[in-house]
Parts: sequence; C-alpha cells; structure tokens
Amino acid sequence: MQISGLRFGGKLLELVEFPVARSLTGAATLDEIQAMLDRHGKVVVKPFFYGGVGKKGRAGLIRIAENLTDAMKAKEELYFATHTWAGRTVRSNGILFEEFVESDIEVYFSITTSTRLRKPIFTISPHGGTEIEALPPDKKRAVWIHPFIGIKSFDLTNNLNELACPEQYISPLVQHLPKLWSLYDDYGLTTLEINPIRMRRENNRFVPVACDLRAAFDQDNPAWRRLELPETIFQSEVTPFESEINRLRTYQGQSDVLELNPDGSIIPFMFGGGANTAATEILGKKAVFASDFGGNPPYEKMYAISRTVFKHWYDRANMILVIGGKANNTDIYVTFKGIFDALRDHAAKNGKRPLYVVVGRGGPNLIRGMFYAKDILERLKLPYRMFGHDSSMIGVLEYAKRIDDWWAAKGRTEFARKVS
Amino acid sequence: MRQLETKPFDYFVGIYSLEELVTRKSRVCVINILGNESRKVTPVSHEYSGGNVVAGVQYGRHGVLETRIGDIPVYSSVRDVMKQGHGFDIGVIYLPPAAVSQAVWELVRYNKDLKRIVTITEKVSVRDSMLSRYICQESGVDLIGCNCLGIANAWDQVRVGGALGGDNPAESLKKGSVAIHSNSGNFTTTIANYLNMAGFGISTAVSSGKDVYIHFAAAEFLYAAQNDPRTKAVVLYVEPGGYYEKQAIEWIRERRFGFNKPVIACVTGRWKSAIARPCGHAGALAGSGDDAETKERWFDEFFETPVFDPENPVVSKRGVRVASIQHIPDAMRAVFGKIDEKQDFEASGDLSLKPWIEDRLVRLPPALAIPAVRAIPPYDVQITEINKHIGANVMRQNMRNKSGASRIDPETHVAVLNDRSVLELSRHGFEENLYYALARVMPGRRDIRLMNLLLNLFLRMETEAVESGDAVRDGATPNAAIASQVARIGDSPFLRKIREYSRLLTDLAREFGMQDNDKDNPDLESLIPDRLLTRGIPEQDDLFAPLLEEVREHARPRPPLKLCRHILDLAQVKGLTVRDLPEFLVAAISVNLFWNPMLEKRIHRQVAEEAAAYLFAVSRIVAASVTDRKTNRYWAKLLKPGAVSPAADFTGTVFRLLFNRKPTGAELDELRYLLGLTVTNGPGTLSAKGAKESVSARNHIATAYAGFLTNTGLAHGGNGFEAVAFLLEQFREVDLPDPALRPETLDLTALANRTARTYRNYKQEAKEKGELDYKRIPCINHPVFKGNEVNTDPREDFIRRELAEKGIGNVFLDFYHELVRELFNEGVTNNVFCVNVDAVLAVIALKLIWDDLRSGRLNPKQVQDLVFILFILGRSVGTTAEIADHRVRGQDMDCRTPEKELTFVM
Repeated sequence: MQISGLRFGGKLLELVEFPVARSLTGAATLDEIQAMLDRHGKVVVKPFFYGGVGKKGRAGLIRIAENLTDAMKAKEELYFATHTWAGRTVRSNGILFEEFVESDIEVYFSITTSTRLRKPIFTISPHGGTEIEALPPDKKRAVWIHPFIGIKSFDLTNNLNELACPEQYISPLVQHLPKLWSLYDDYGLTTLEINPIRMRRENNRFVPVACDLRAAFDQDNPAWRRLELPETIFQSEVTPFESEINRLRTYQGQSDVLELNPDGSIIPFMFGGGANTAATEILGKKAVFASDFGGNPPYEKMYAISRTVFKHWYDRANMILVIGGKANNTDIYVTFKGIFDALRDHAAKNGKRPLYVVVGRGGPNLIRGMFYAKDILERLKLPYRMFGHDSSMIGVLEYAKRIDDWWAAKGRTEFARKVS
Repeated sequence: MRQLETKPFDYFVGIYSLEELVTRKSRVCVINILGNESRKVTPVSHEYSGGNVVAGVQYGRHGVLETRIGDIPVYSSVRDVMKQGHGFDIGVIYLPPAAVSQAVWELVRYNKDLKRIVTITEKVSVRDSMLSRYICQESGVDLIGCNCLGIANAWDQVRVGGALGGDNPAESLKKGSVAIHSNSGNFTTTIANYLNMAGFGISTAVSSGKDVYIHFAAAEFLYAAQNDPRTKAVVLYVEPGGYYEKQAIEWIRERRFGFNKPVIACVTGRWKSAIARPCGHAGALAGSGDDAETKERWFDEFFETPVFDPENPVVSKRGVRVASIQHIPDAMRAVFGKIDEKQDFEASGDLSLKPWIEDRLVRLPPALAIPAVRAIPPYDVQITEINKHIGANVMRQNMRNKSGASRIDPETHVAVLNDRSVLELSRHGFEENLYYALARVMPGRRDIRLMNLLLNLFLRMETEAVESGDAVRDGATPNAAIASQVARIGDSPFLRKIREYSRLLTDLAREFGMQDNDKDNPDLESLIPDRLLTRGIPEQDDLFAPLLEEVREHARPRPPLKLCRHILDLAQVKGLTVRDLPEFLVAAISVNLFWNPMLEKRIHRQVAEEAAAYLFAVSRIVAASVTDRKTNRYWAKLLKPGAVSPAADFTGTVFRLLFNRKPTGAELDELRYLLGLTVTNGPGTLSAKGAKESVSARNHIATAYAGFLTNTGLAHGGNGFEAVAFLLEQFREVDLPDPALRPETLDLTALANRTARTYRNYKQEAKEKGELDYKRIPCINHPVFKGNEVNTDPREDFIRRELAEKGIGNVFLDFYHELVRELFNEGVTNNVFCVNVDAVLAVIALKLIWDDLRSGRLNPKQVQDLVFILFILGRSVGTTAEIADHRVRGQDMDCRTPEKELTFVM
C-alpha cells in the first residue's frame, strides 16, 4: 500500500503543517494555471498514478512549463501516460500542475526502518533530487530515531553541518523536519520519502517545500485508516480475486494471496510463508497466484477461501496443487477438508472438469487429510498423486509442473475420453 | 544517548551460546495461554519439554490449562503470576497483534529475571515491533519473533513458543550437530526433517519470523552458534528484504566474532522483487538492494564458491549456498566431508519422490509414472489403519436445513439425489433406486437380485401384524396408517442382531483383505466369537431357505459372502450350527450388497451395517400400502410358500400389490416413472424434514420413516388427486376403452377447447363476484418455468419424450397439452402455460387405474388413497437417503430452531 506524488501526499503533509508545493488538478481552468505561472514563473506538470510509482523523472514524465501553451501541451501528453516501473506498467489517472519552487539546493529526506540498526532511521542529504542509492556515503547520512522522542533537532543540525549544507537552510530544515516523525509514527507509515525538498525564499527566510512524496503504509497497522484516503487510490494494487480473499483476512493471516498470472494453469494452495516463497519461485508463470494459507486456518475459513479460489479459477486451470512442508500447527485434515469440500461443492454446482491434483504435505492429521481428499477426488473421478514430507517439496513442485505440461498436451484429453 | 551494548554488537544481545538460548532449566510463562492456538500447542510443548511452563496469563480470567503431565495454572495478569511466586525467565506471547507491545512491556515491568520473549503473533505492526524492541533493549531482554514459531533445543528436548516439530516434536527435532535459523517456521521443521533423513540431527533451531524487524537475526545467531560446542554447522533459510545477512557476513569478515563454522544458506524468493505488497511473510519484500538475487550474491561471495550442484558437490570450508531446501542434505554431507566430521546418525532415507497415495484412473507416461511406495513410519501404519476404516469419513455437523443426500439443481431446478436427477432415477426400478439411495451408486445385476431377495423376504414377514393393522386404519389417511405399522418396528431384536452380525462380518472381511480376489481360506477359527457357533440342530425356516441357497450359490461373492460360506463350512465340519442363522444370512447378504460402495468410500460403514434396517422398513411400507388386502389376489399368493419367486422383481411386486394385477411391460415403465419422479424434491420438503428431525431426536431408523410419513399429508397427494378428479370430469362422457390409444372419434382439441371455454367463463364469473381464490386448473403452469411464449417443464418434457420413445401413449397427457394451448387461444392465459410434472404423475396414475375405475372396482376414496400412496412409495426412497445421511453426518438435536429465529405471532 503506497502512494506517490502530491495529489494525496500533500494532504498527508498538511496534517503536520509541513509546507507543500501548491498544486492544481488537471481540471484547473486556464486562468488558474496562468495565475500559477504568474506567481511562480513556471509550473511543474506531473502525471498522477495510483499506488507507489517511482522513477517518473527518469522516464521523462515530469515537465516544467514556462507558459500556458507548454503547460497544456504537457497536460495533453501526460494525462494518460503509461509508465513501466518495478516490472509493471501503470497508466496515469490525470495530471497535477505544481508550483515551481525556485531553490539553490534540493534536499532528500526519508524515514524508514533500518534492518542493520534495528531501529527507525532518517536519511538526509542536501544533494537530493536524485536517487539516494546513487549518492556516495559522504553526501548522505542515516541517523537512528528514538521511538519515543522522535527526530532530534541536534541530530539534524549536526548531520547537515557535516554534509556541508549551506547554513541558511539548516535552521528552517531543523524547524520543520522533526514534524515528519509524527506523520510517520501516528499514521502507520513504513516509509516516508520526500524528494526533493526545495527551499523557497519567503521574505528574508527560507521555507522547506515538499515537491514530491512517496509513502508506504503498514497494512498491519490500522492507523493509516485515520487518514481517510479514498479506497480507489489503492485499487490498482488489488485484483477482484485478491479483494474477495482479503475480506477473509484476520490477524491470524491464513488468507494471503497475490494474483500472479490469470492465465496460469495451476491453482496453488500454498501453506506457510516459506512454501509460498519457494513454490511461487518454482512454479513461475504456471501459478495463478501466490498464497499463504498456513497458520492453522479453521475449517470455515479454509472452505470460504477455497470456494472463492474455485469460483475464480476452476474453469481456467489444469491442476490443483496443495503444497507445504511438514506443518507444525496446521491441522492437515481440517485444511484438506475445507479445500476438497469446496471443490466437491463447486463441481456439483458447476460441473466436473478434468483437473489433475498433486499434493505434497506433512503435519498433524496428515493421513486423515489425505484420505479425505482421496475420497472426494475418487468421487469426482479426478486423478491425483499425494506425497508426504519424505519427498522433497521442491521435487514435488517440479514433478507437478511436468505433469501439468503432459496434462495440457494430451493427458487431459485422454482422461476425458476414458472417464466419459 | 546511552544504550545497552553487548560486545561484539552495537546493541544488546543476551545470548552467548545457542546452548543457553533455551534449556531444560528455562521456565516459561505463556500470555493468552487459553487462546485458540496456544491451548493446542502449549500442552504439547510443555509435555515435550518436561513441564517447563510454570504459568499462563489469560487476561481477566483464572483457571488451568490441562496437560498430560499436570495442569498449568492460569492467572489474569503477569503481576498475578509473579505474586503467586511463579518465577520464569522466558515469556511467550500468543496475543492478537494490537496487544503484543503491551504484553512485552508488562513482562518486562513485572519480571526482573526475564531473559527472553518469544512472540508467535503474526501481523504485528512495524511500529509495535519497534516499540517492543526498544523496551527490551532498554531492559536487557532478548526478543525472538514476531511471526515466528519459537525456539527448540533438541539436546535438551525443549521447545519454547510455537509448534516447532508439530504435534510430535521428537519426530523432527532429533539431537545432532546442525543449528537452523529460518525465516520460515514451517521450513524450520521441514529442514530439520530433511536433515534427519540424511543422518543429521539438530542442536538448536530458531524460527526467526520474517517481519520487517527480525529481532534475533543472522548475526547474533551465528555468533551464538560459534560459541556452541554442540553445533558443527549452520543452516540459514533466507528470504528477500532486510540487510540482516549482509550485516552478519560483514561482521564475520571484520572478525567482530571469530566465526569459522560452515554455513549452508538457502535464499528463495527471486519473484518477490516484482511485487509491491507482501504475501505471507510481511518483511519478505525487497526494497533497494535486498532482493533475493542480491542476497544470493552476498553469500556466494562469502563462500567463494558457486551455488551447490548435487551432481558436482563442491563446497568451501565456509559452506555453500543451495538453490532450494531439497539440496540441504547433500550440501551438508559435502560440508561435513570438508571439515572432516561424521554425520550424527545413520541416514534413514532420501528426498526422492515417493508418492504415498495415487489414483488408478490415469496411466501416466513412463517418465512420470513413479510407483506409489509404502509411507515412512508411523504414517504407513496410519494408512493401514485408515484403510481399515472402511467407508467414507464424514465430519459430524449441524444438519439443520442441510443435506448430503438431496438438493435442487440451481440450473435445471430439478431435484437431485446424491448425484443423479430424479429424471435419471425415473428410468430405474424401485429396488435399484432404493439401493442407490443408500449406496450412492447404481447396483449391478447381481446386486439387484440380492435387493429383490431381501425386499421380498421382508415383505413376507410379520404378515399377521400387517393384516391386524388394517383392521384399525379406518378414518386414518394412508400415511398415518402406514406410519403406525412402521413405527412399531423400532429397533427390533431381528434388526439388532442383523446389525451386530453385519459389523462382525465387516470386521472379519477387513481382516482378511477387502478385495474380491483376496485370501480365500482364512484361518477363521481363532477370530470367530464363541457365541456365533452353537450346538444343536439348525432351525428349518422355509422363509429364509432362499437366502441360504443364495449364499451358497451366488456367482461372484464379495468378501462378506465368502466369509459367510467359510463360517457355514466351519460349523458343518465341527458339527455345530450358526446361532441366529436367519439374521446372520441377512447380514451377510446386505453387507455384501454395500461392500463396494463402502470400499469406494461412497458411504459410511454405519450405512452398510444398518442397510437391512432400511430395506426392512421400506418393505414394511410397501406391505402396509395394500389398500384392499382382502381382495388382493397377489397378497394372498405372496403368503403361499413357493408361489412367488423369492427374487422376483420388486417393482413388479409393488405393482401387483397396489393394482392387484400383473403389469404389462409398459405399465412397469410407467410405474418406474411415477415412483422415480417423486423420489425427492430436496431437503426442504416436509417429508425430508420429518425424517431428518426424527433422526435429530435420535430415533431408530424405522421411527424416522414414521417421522417422514407423519409429515406427509393430503396436501402431498392432493394435487395429483385433484388432477385425476379434473381429468375424470373432462372425460366423463368420452368412450375411452384404453387410455394408451386415442379413439379415432375423439377430438382432443375440441375437448380441450370446451374445457378452456368453460374454465374461462367460470373464471370471469368468479372474478366478477370478487372471488379471488377461484379454483385453478391443476398441474399447469410453474413458478419457475414460465414467462415464455410457450412454456415447458423440462421434467414433464423428459418423461413425455421417454414415453414417446417407448411407444407408450397417454391420452390424458395429450389432452393436457391441448388444454394449455386452448387456454391461451381462449385468452385465459397470457402465454402457453407449461404442463407441469405433477400432471405426469396424475395422467399415469389415472391410466393405470382407468379400468378399475370404469368397472367400479375402485371408488373415489380408494383412488385418492392410491394416488397418495404412490407418492409415499416414491418418496420413501429419497427419505431413505436423507435418514442415512443425517444419521452419519448430523448431531443430536441439530434440527432445533434457535430461539432468535422464532417469532411470537399476536
């Protein structure tokens, strides 16, 4: 769950009274845009994407216009812009006109968690406007934050001094930046990155102005809901299938899914975070989704999850795969009963399909679970192979892939002819 | 600002050696001990660890958590635990995420001796994890977790926190020389298991969790492993996200601590670099420079050797990275070779693919056809034992308004019993459908013969009781009269003995192999209970003689019949006789009948063992359905020994008893349609509910049938009877010798038009008078099959086509079709209504009794009874399935309506 840009990022910063570049939406009138140009000399035109999207500048998606004609041209070009970032392509949902803040320097500032220090840290550099990773160590500083006190002014002062930040900017930064801890800490953020902060001159003093923002929220911390951000801005991150499964989400987990390839051929019920990581890696594009249904889900939840899974993918897949290591706590009988009862009920309502079933699992009540699945699969006349935990889980996954290939090539047709 | 630092770290780490991470001396307090997860896991941990849990906390409550080695006291707060003098050094937290940091604070605040906290809870926010760490760092307490499965010491047989090793920790956590640190709780156990098979045991295993914060991470683990004399090598299972491993490697290189033991590292999750939202492990989300590929590179550079290749097992003294956890055992062997160490014990297996259970439906190509093998102990024994559990496994549940037997197909709106629609069932005979109701699969030819044998036998039993019941049925509706006969059966000694022998034969057959071709001459003597065989002369009972003959002669006996033969032979050799021979024979035949469905797990074994009781009850319903017994020639014939074949087709028997004559082939087909169509109309029907509610009250099988019968009434037979009366009225002046053949003189369109016009006038008149509840023409229109220009009830259409294919005519049905068209032509209806399935029942019934009606042998009351009885007989089949299903699936009193659903009507 991420947001980027000032469309909603600006609202976050306003909560802690951190100055933000003034902006207009794409619906602004020509007069309003002209007024912004008159006041600031230039306007920055940026596409607006849902979710967290980075590297817009490098992709040439940020334009600076000095007149109305250029501003409108940029609007036209960027309004439906597409952008490929982190392996996915997103489309713009309009644009934003932002004031151009005249400044000698650009400051980078972020708050996140350091897994080296095991503490929250802020990272600061007076050489911002670029990717922080690209900066050499002597041009940036990472400083730990006291969880109960927050960002300390002297830490800012000392580090900005060491980084040779021009003196006139240090005091305004030290005055405003500590506020960002409140935003980070109070609203469930896991990352807050403002880059760049430009220093606007107001009379005889400078004011740091946030010109872009990226924020990531902790979905396990309900505090972000207090921001009352519209649900739609996160919608691009969640598919209808994920959304339906997410409704079953509780603090015990047991229902994590990530849709990967709607055209995949294998419906994978994965149990455990490790199995999820390993199985998704092995199955690759064959997996319709990644999942982690571990954590000993109760029957009702497993049944509801499975029912949703079959509702979305039963008609499109070749194989049902139930995979996990040797469960510690998950009752195999209960989970298998949930899955295979849902399969039986779905098939009863929607007709039988020739699916191959591969199971690789270990744990409490394993044999009861396997036999329960066996009973139902035999009733549905579906072929299956079941492996215990003495077979390599990875081996089972690779075997399932090979069966899936054969099944798609000719096994399914041969089978359908045989059982019909 | 000062903070606690424990050299060589920049922060506090209270563990010097893995040996001391958790020991037999550790004492534990579990927070939220009575929560769903803890109350199952904690007793296993406590028992495995020699009783190390001194107390638990359940906020606001007191009590105990029972374990096999004694109760664990439960208090309402940590303060209370301390006040009661329960000292402990490890706190385990099972609370919901929002409460975790509070509990950390509470543990630290009230227990000065606290050394570690293990947090099992998943989905703890990053903020709470940060706060927990800060509190513990300030107080000198080590944190493990969150979202982990705890820690285990296989040398001391101790586990603390979650369920490492599952419900049998000793099976996976065997003493040895490898320490495991895993981001995955499940993989901690799985890796331990893989290593066990290869001959490597565990010193200590840590499930670290994979949240953003890993409080006991790679660096401190490796430091403690180095200082642990038991540990010779380490396994790290790593996922993307975080710099924990990089930090550890850097510190080793910087010689912050002199780590020199080999490490097998497995990094998975390359695919996670392309996602923006975690799935499963919250912290397994790559940021910048901490994706899986980068982490792989960290390790490869550290090991100074490429990823492990099992075909060419090269490792360095520092260890090696493996591409997947399946290579860990091979890599560990290679590493142990490199450091000149021996594995901990003999290898017990390998990780090759070994299917335990496979189908017999599909022949895989040779490259994929891995044959099933016997599972490893103890699972092999479990498989054998579960295989002994003949019959389906079903979980008991509340079956109110639920059924595992019948439903209405939402697409076709046709009722379905088990897997077949009533339309399909209407093609089968009564005995076939009755078998199907219990077995969930259609009978074979020989099964049908055995069904007939038993049903005919039961029909001929207790005839005096049936006849005496007739004397008191005046004034009662047929269902009530039949119910009274059935209710008195109860759990008679006859049925009880059959059930006991059925159970015995099932157990014996199971012992000797369940397939038809299994052992032929078992050594039975030692297994047969003494009470079965007795001295004396076998009782001669002509009624049961055909059963004995069948047992001896049956062409392809299944194990129960084979066993029955062996026992009879054994008795003969010993000069003994089988006690309760009739019941024993019935049991053998009925178990034989349902043997295969039981093996195929289609039915619960209880159904097979009680099958005779169902057949007996249904047979009694047929016996009690004879309307005019005194004049019924077939009933009289039935009572004469040898007059009727013992294995006569039971559908034919039913026809003869109901209509007092021999049926033609077409009439038998028509009776099949009649009975088949009414088998079920789903579990919501009054009839099904009556039976199910009776089962719910824990009644005997026969009593449950009485529940069904008393829950039917004239409303059920009513529509059919009204249709018969309606048709009689329309055909009053028609000369119709045979309803199968339309006389040339009969103009059905004209007749239908006359009916339509008459009805139109009647309806208009009624409306003008303001009578809104004017009579409707029975059996036309349907709430679902309506709204088209011309409507069809698919069920009626199915039967009509079936009749046409068999050349079976029915003038009344033709009339109905003419009528719906004429009603439309005359403007009575807005479109052509369907002729619904009830009409099929009425026209067939009317056709079958047409002669008797015309001749006066049947009066209108008898016609009404007969139509109703036809419904009852058909429905008794569906009811059989409902009773059997509810008996094995339901719970006592599960049909009660919860109080909140009840309404008091003023």
